[in-house]
Amino acid sequence: MPIIEIENFTKTYPLPDNKNETFCAVDGVSLLIETGEVFGILGPNGAGKTTTLEMLEGLNDIDGGHATIDGIDVQSCPFKIKEIIGVQLQASEYFDNLSLVELLTLFGALYSHDIDPTALLEKVQLLDKAKAKPANLSGGQKQRFSIACALVNKPKVLFLDEPTTGLDPQAKRNIWDLVQNLNNNGMTIVLTTHNMEEAESLCHRIAIMDHGKIVAEGTPQSLILQHAPEPPEAPLHGNLEDVFLVLTGHALRD
Amino acid sequence: MILSKLQLHLSKVFLMIFLRDRQSIFFSLFFPIIFMTVFGFVNNGQQEPLNIGVVNESDSVVAADFVQQLKDSLVFNVTIGTEGLLRSELEEGDQTMVLVIPEIFNTANLDRQSVELRILVDAAQLAQLSLVMPLLEQTLIEIEREFRDTEPMFSLVIEDVQARSQSYLDFLLPGLMAFTLMQLSIAGSGYNIIEFRRKGILKRLFVTPIQPKDFITAIVLARTTIVLTQLFVLITFAVLVLDVQIIGSFAAFFFVVILGTFIFLNLGFCLGSIAKTQQAAIMIGNIVIFPQIFLSGVFYPIESMPEFVQPVANVLPLSFVSTGMRDIANEGVSLLAIMPSLIGIAVWLVVSYVLATRLFVWKEVAN
Repeated sequence: MPIIEIENFTKTYPLPDNKNETFCAVDGVSLLIETGEVFGILGPNGAGKTTTLEMLEGLNDIDGGHATIDGIDVQSCPFKIKEIIGVQLQASEYFDNLSLVELLTLFGALYSHDIDPTALLEKVQLLDKAKAKPANLSGGQKQRFSIACALVNKPKVLFLDEPTTGLDPQAKRNIWDLVQNLNNNGMTIVLTTHNMEEAESLCHRIAIMDHGKIVAEGTPQSLILQHAPEPPEAPLHGNLEDVFLVLTGHALRD
Repeated sequence: MILSKLQLHLSKVFLMIFLRDRQSIFFSLFFPIIFMTVFGFVNNGQQEPLNIGVVNESDSVVAADFVQQLKDSLVFNVTIGTEGLLRSELEEGDQTMVLVIPEIFNTANLDRQSVELRILVDAAQLAQLSLVMPLLEQTLIEIEREFRDTEPMFSLVIEDVQARSQSYLDFLLPGLMAFTLMQLSIAGSGYNIIEFRRKGILKRLFVTPIQPKDFITAIVLARTTIVLTQLFVLITFAVLVLDVQIIGSFAAFFFVVILGTFIFLNLGFCLGSIAKTQQAAIMIGNIVIFPQIFLSGVFYPIESMPEFVQPVANVLPLSFVSTGMRDIANEGVSLLAIMPSLIGIAVWLVVSYVLATRLFVWKEVAN
């Protein structure tokens, strides 16, 4: 049963160099995301991944189409949506001079939940940093802390925007374990990534976006079977990165 | 109005953030305290005595008596010497003027002819002379009366109706407090919001169920507490250390403080909504703050300003606030008596509130 239903999402912006013309950042995106799955959205920079997530999270206006999460309309009930989702943004800092425990307690208060900050920190392996300030955390620790903050309201859906970008292999694996763990306990997770290995090993299903449109959707295996180049062009069977490049081309993006 | 648990929690967080930022606490108190202390010492109500040189060419008792009277006067710091020496001291600026008492300065001559006293001056110090001359003349007249044994026909008695002496510091303190209040408030809503946005904190808050009114209430509550505490520290310092007098009611005084804080918090919210970068905020903030520092009667009375700026100066928000605070602190009047200031404050409250609610759109401010 799908927990997220997106129908024909559209988002248009005026062109930066010509205000009279517009371009579609998100161009008719429709998706069904099943309860309890890890769903990956892949795509080159500027493909519209983050914009799509932000439209679901209420951060961005929905210019066309509509969506529901757990049966609640995203556009008309933004505050009900906020109660049931957890969000880790691509880049966010936190208030200076507050410790991890104090910040988690604050986030709990924002949802009017009394929470146990130490349990959350334990979940993301940051218990020994309970009294540290976010500014003193490493990249991986910061991401884990961001995920802890996104978990305070025990969300039904967790949105992760490029959770492993810029992390070293150990920190990356650590985040994967965490995501898998949360998913094993029944949480639906929607993530964006540039990392094909991540998509292949973590996601049950993925959608590949380019120029605001979904160009392919399915399980990693089915996408490889459908789109990977034939054996003569690539050794053995090719991988997901080949799929990605065939679908979105080799041209550099900004 | 009942405050929710969330609002209380968030304002506690804002207070904690401020309390742990030692530098900004220090500097928000540093400026007004230094300013008051410097003025407290410079302007202690007493004039520095004027240096005058006296050349006494007469050996009469009257001349000696006259010199003694000058020496006794608090206004003068007398140096006795020869004309040549004192003249060169005058040229170097060590003396304000040199008074030459001629040989014929004695009682015998007083009856017959008037005695001329020469005064050597440096034209550059002319302004001081206008202060000194009446005093010298007065001293001479008194001596003359003594010897001629005449009673003065008139005498002036100066009576101070203000019953208490008011120093510049008494005047300065309410203005300085109003100024501090403005700075703290605009920083609390304006600059903080821009900083929170730059760091992505507002975006992160936006995806939680917090309502904009909770966020705003928490900032207002925390900032008002900070302003009241800081001003209380300043007032305590001024009264205990600098002996500044506050004669009005503290309740009325802080009532005006709170209203003023609300005005500048509203203006800060406008600033935080308009300005996209910290640089822009500082520029726009200065447009609001600078004219008010000079025109709102913080450091000197609006009445002493050029006539053409007074109509503008009189309607600035800080003018109403500082005038109201000063009237209560210096004259001890009631809230009723400062109704004109209160009406001005009320108008600014409404204007700034309407502006702030128009400009502060949670989604746009957060993104």
